Amino acid sequence: MRTLVFVPAWNEQDSIAAVIADVRACIPDADLLVIDDGSTDATAGRAREAGALVASLPFNQGLGAALQTGYLYARREGYEAIAHLDADGQHPPAEVARLLAEVRADRADLVIGSRYRDPEKAESDDYKPTFSRRIGIGVFRFFLTLATRQRFTDTTSGMRAANRRVIEMFSERYSPDFAEIESLQLAVREGLRVEEVPVRMLERTGGSSFLTPLRSAFFIFKGLIVLLVGQFRPTGAER
Amino acid sequence: MRALALAVASESPKVHLTSQTRIIAAVLALAFMALVLELIRRDRLQERFSVVWFVAGVGMLIGAAFPGLLTLVADAMGVRDTNVALFSIVLLFLLGLALNFSVTMSRQATQITRLAQERALEDARQQSASAENGGEPRERGRAGS
Repeated sequence: MRTLVFVPAWNEQDSIAAVIADVRACIPDADLLVIDDGSTDATAGRAREAGALVASLPFNQGLGAALQTGYLYARREGYEAIAHLDADGQHPPAEVARLLAEVRADRADLVIGSRYRDPEKAESDDYKPTFSRRIGIGVFRFFLTLATRQRFTDTTSGMRAANRRVIEMFSERYSPDFAEIESLQLAVREGLRVEEVPVRMLERTGGSSFLTPLRSAFFIFKGLIVLLVGQFRPTGAER
Repeated sequence: MRALALAVASESPKVHLTSQTRIIAAVLALAFMALVLELIRRDRLQERFSVVWFVAGVGMLIGAAFPGLLTLVADAMGVRDTNVALFSIVLLFLLGLALNFSVTMSRQATQITRLAQERALEDARQQSASAENGGEPRERGRAGS
């Protein structure tokens, strides 16, 4: 099964080479694409030196647009399965390989790597979020579960694997603003099998989180509107 | 404030525009339309976005020339105070226009994103093509990178 692993990267020059090397070691049969989301540092150059194919967006377009670039490439080049992971070193490629195994065995169309083993808790052994994050995690869990009637714990996880059906859908329709959450809602509404697999995640090795309390509040508010509107979007069957 | 409100309310529903205010309003409307023309002339505004502003300018001119029309409109709306009718119409017009611009901006944002994505994919395709030919990856001539 032709497989593409893509890594959206925005100013991740410190971690990108190690991530690429890890992916090559853990998923040797997959092609690798780095989507450089308008980085202003040496991300694209280092990724190329590390031997990855690099697609450079001419200016920063946000995570959603970067991920969609990967899906678009996968569709055009005829890949049957994809996986994507963050470029900051939080996602061990060995765990990504486990997600891919689920897709290859056709047990699910879209597989999400969740950092939570216990769905009731907002923390796990290797993840201790701040207070504002905890609130966000709880809110999104509650509302996404309400909207999809399926239990999700790690709604914003950027570690995923998917098959051809998802590639075709996301390359056409992928929200640029709220990619992670809206894509889950969309996939469930379109009747795809979405599965969550508990995975181990690491501390980030480079860069820093962008969330401040005020931004978190705005992020949550925006997310709720996106979810609400998403409930009224026409699905493929209705269009 | 209360006294002012009473004074306004006690007025008859007719419009009381002095010829002075009417002249000022007409001059403003003409100046506005001249500004729109000038912007088009200097390529700062595309014609297709100018139509609505011309209509607005003409509306202002008509309002200045025939204030009686405003009273008719207010009556049709069932509003006693002509000023309220005027402000409501202007507010709704601007609201609709702002929404229209947001829709336009959204469409253009989508187009820009897709353009950037196509450009990025072309980038990757060229890189993989030159790698297959055994050659060095091409020099990247992008400014600012």
